[in-house]
Amino acid sequence: MTTAQALLEVQDLKKYFPVQKGVLRRTVGYVKAVDGVSFRLQPGETLGIVGESGCGKSTLARTIMRVLEPTAGKILLDGQDISQLSGKALRRIRRKFQMVFQDPYASLNPRMSVQDIIAEPLVVNGLVAARDIPAVVADLLEKVGLKADDRQRYPHEFSGGQRQRIGIARAIAVQPRLIVADEAVSALDVSIQAQILNLMQGLKQELGLSYVFISHNLAVVRYISDQVGVMYLGHLVELTTKQALYQQPLHPYSEALLSAALEPSRKHKRERILLRGDVPNPAHPPTGCPFHTRCPKVMDVCRQSRPTLREAAPGHWVACHLH
Amino acid sequence: MSEAVLSVRNLRTYFMYKDAEVHAVDGVDLDVRAGEIVCLVGESGCGKSMTSLSIMRLVPQPAGRIVSGKILLDGVDLLRLSEDEMTDVRGNQISMIFQEPMTALNPVLTVGDQITEVLLRHRRMRKREAWQRAVEMLEFVGVARAAQIVHEYPHQLSGGMRQRVMIAMAMVCEPKLLIADEPTTALDVTIQAQVLDLMRKMRDDFGTALILITHDLGVVAEMADRVVVMYAGQVVESTDADTLFEEPSHPYTRGLLRSIPSLSDDTETLYSIPGTVPDAAAFPEGCRFADRCPLAQPECLATAPVLREVRPGHWVRCHFADKGSVSV
Amino acid sequence: MAGYVVRRLFGMIPMLFAITVFVFFMMHMAPGNAIEAMINPRIKDIAALKHQLEVQNGLNLPLPVQYWRWLVNVLHGNFGWSFGQHEPVIELLGPAMYNTLILAVLAEAFILLLGIPIGIWQARRPYSKLDYTVSTVSFVLFSVPFFVFAVFLIYFFAIRWPVFPAQNATGTGPLAGTLLDHVWHALLPAISIALTAHTVYSRYTRGAMLDVARQDYVRTARAKGIREPVIYRKHVFRNARIPLVTQLGFDLGGLLGGAVITEGLFSYQGMGYVTITAVSQRDYPVIMATTLIFAVCVLLGNLVADILNAVVDPRIRYQ
Repeated sequence: MTTAQALLEVQDLKKYFPVQKGVLRRTVGYVKAVDGVSFRLQPGETLGIVGESGCGKSTLARTIMRVLEPTAGKILLDGQDISQLSGKALRRIRRKFQMVFQDPYASLNPRMSVQDIIAEPLVVNGLVAARDIPAVVADLLEKVGLKADDRQRYPHEFSGGQRQRIGIARAIAVQPRLIVADEAVSALDVSIQAQILNLMQGLKQELGLSYVFISHNLAVVRYISDQVGVMYLGHLVELTTKQALYQQPLHPYSEALLSAALEPSRKHKRERILLRGDVPNPAHPPTGCPFHTRCPKVMDVCRQSRPTLREAAPGHWVACHLH
Repeated sequence: MSEAVLSVRNLRTYFMYKDAEVHAVDGVDLDVRAGEIVCLVGESGCGKSMTSLSIMRLVPQPAGRIVSGKILLDGVDLLRLSEDEMTDVRGNQISMIFQEPMTALNPVLTVGDQITEVLLRHRRMRKREAWQRAVEMLEFVGVARAAQIVHEYPHQLSGGMRQRVMIAMAMVCEPKLLIADEPTTALDVTIQAQVLDLMRKMRDDFGTALILITHDLGVVAEMADRVVVMYAGQVVESTDADTLFEEPSHPYTRGLLRSIPSLSDDTETLYSIPGTVPDAAAFPEGCRFADRCPLAQPECLATAPVLREVRPGHWVRCHFADKGSVSV
Repeated sequence: MAGYVVRRLFGMIPMLFAITVFVFFMMHMAPGNAIEAMINPRIKDIAALKHQLEVQNGLNLPLPVQYWRWLVNVLHGNFGWSFGQHEPVIELLGPAMYNTLILAVLAEAFILLLGIPIGIWQARRPYSKLDYTVSTVSFVLFSVPFFVFAVFLIYFFAIRWPVFPAQNATGTGPLAGTLLDHVWHALLPAISIALTAHTVYSRYTRGAMLDVARQDYVRTARAKGIREPVIYRKHVFRNARIPLVTQLGFDLGGLLGGAVITEGLFSYQGMGYVTITAVSQRDYPVIMATTLIFAVCVLLGNLVADILNAVVDPRIRYQ
């Protein structure tokens, strides 16, 4: 990793949800959805985060976005810690980072026209004069591959892929530097997914964006990312370049995950590592290494102590006692 | 080549939706032989799920209806059976499992109750015997602590376990045909691998034919003996799995395969099929894929191609499938 | 579960305290009092007599003191002495509670026996002509002020063809005072309540059944070859009854408080009848006692609703 200032630096970020019980709603424990995640994202780069359901990747996205209050840790955007900001200061900094959601159906207000949806962040932040809005929105729509005439239409008149384009237009309207995309193409059909991925790649070049791209789809993450992080039970267990991860995964979980992913080809029939059992309940995570209950290479030390994320090879970080 | 367990001929299933007639399934042919895994693949709205529900005669009423065609199960046309006779077929000769194991199991009935129900319905069996069989079946599909799990409710199980229960329930009468509609779409990859492995084991051990409905070409590559690609209510390509991945012949199949980012190589730019699927209430006159097809000729817009056998066992619905120089 | 019930019961105490305090002070703030309602306005030296009676009954004391006295007495099982009926409140309310219990159970039974089967029957043929017809009839029954049925029933079945009694909660003759006699007298009032109230259940049942019938697991049951009647009886109804059971708990609480108007029309000596009489006579001890009983019934009804919910829905477990 370089010493240049990162666009986004997350330091030991934690998000715990209290587990409450009984009539008095006493807190009897915590679900450690994100438990000490750290990474740096350089300007113009894309960091992919992969993991299975319940690994905390969506919580991580929402905590970075300050939609959820972080329990502990720092979120540095251009060197400024935004983890404690609130009110006006937070609203001002929001212009720098925007979010794109999985469900384009749910994230667009059905009663607002496309123009109102896209212009909303501009109006709220007072960035554009009212008379300029139609022109600005038309320009944004064309950037995301829609027609300027679509301004006056409503979300229900569009297909899923088109709605995701509207969501992206809204996100880039305030000229952010970072976009956090949470399963942004997961609900789309393959042919539409490819269109949206290409759109996001193009916008990255054109506007100099950086992405934190969260997905369960390993192939999609490989396509769009420069760096990839693998999450398991709230922890980042491996973090490296996409080439390193996909060609030589070090963590046994990454290995198993990659071997279980299916490729649309009859040639690449790989030996599959079939993991036994399910992901443990995040409210009662195992002691030691969170993966030791399913790990095919488990050792005694794994049951006792939790490995920290270490640089096993240059630029290749892994949290495993084997490395 | 063994006799087909299931032969679907010219199946049409239409829906009335907001005063428009939607041709969800529009003349589908399908053959499944004993012990064969046939993948029915396509994007949302292509009619793959409706085809499977039509085979089960479970098309949502009253909006949908099977307009014409034949569904032959071992030579018997299911469309000619009375509703009562059809209930004897379901769960007994043909079973089905669904995408969401969470919602597909009844939340207020125990796992055992839901499995034994099938046996008590289709087999002359005492309750005690049926419960014993349910435990055996759960053990067979890899559910640990099966003797306890039979007394538990679906919410007490994980997603992967629920899908195992669904499979146990579907297979308990050892049907000739199992239809699985996106059985692993709601599951994580590591669990998906387990469930696909189990379904292959079911085919191997019971000789059950399997129709696997999926949008995921990765699942197809992993599982299929033969593949049927659907687009806009019709079969556009049908062949064995190796041929499909090595020599896809319909421009839609090719485009689909090239739209998927690779897991093992870096993809510089991804191909994407332009445009969107045509409205099922107003299909174009000619080829339904023509307006998204990079090879479309005037002929394609004018006349609809038929499904032709371009090579033995390889059927394609395209005017130019065997005219060489077809590259997308 | 037992621990949960105990905690819920303890949780009722502050609510009951708040309810009784509220009713006590509101009641005393209203103009007039029990003494004025009791004495003949034409006797001489009213003021002196009033004062004497007020002192006798402790009505001259500050309200908080009066409430405190009432509370201490109640905790000792003493609900006081009825000003209006001149007998211990307990002896007045005992039979009234018994009468109301019979009426409530009978009415609720009719409601369920009518409402649920009608709802299921409709859900099996939704949006058909028969379904619409039954729905329309239900709306009409629901909209008619329910005392109309009471009057109608009394006229036809007690006066024109005197099959049923239309007055009192017990009769005369060899069977007088037996359970059968009580049930016999509660029949007409119970039917008049059920004729309106069952429509709530038939609507609920129909809606809940149709909701459940759309669920994936019903499709699964069909895919297993289960026959339609079994699907509806087992897979659909067992889920559809979950919201109904909650409603049942609330209803029972309400009904046990007494059906004020119905009991009045049938001169049926239940809780509602006694409460109305007590209110018109400013019979404070009786009003307080019925308030307490009604509040306890409603709170217990909610508890019963929650318990029944856990019984029919395995996903709900109380610790």
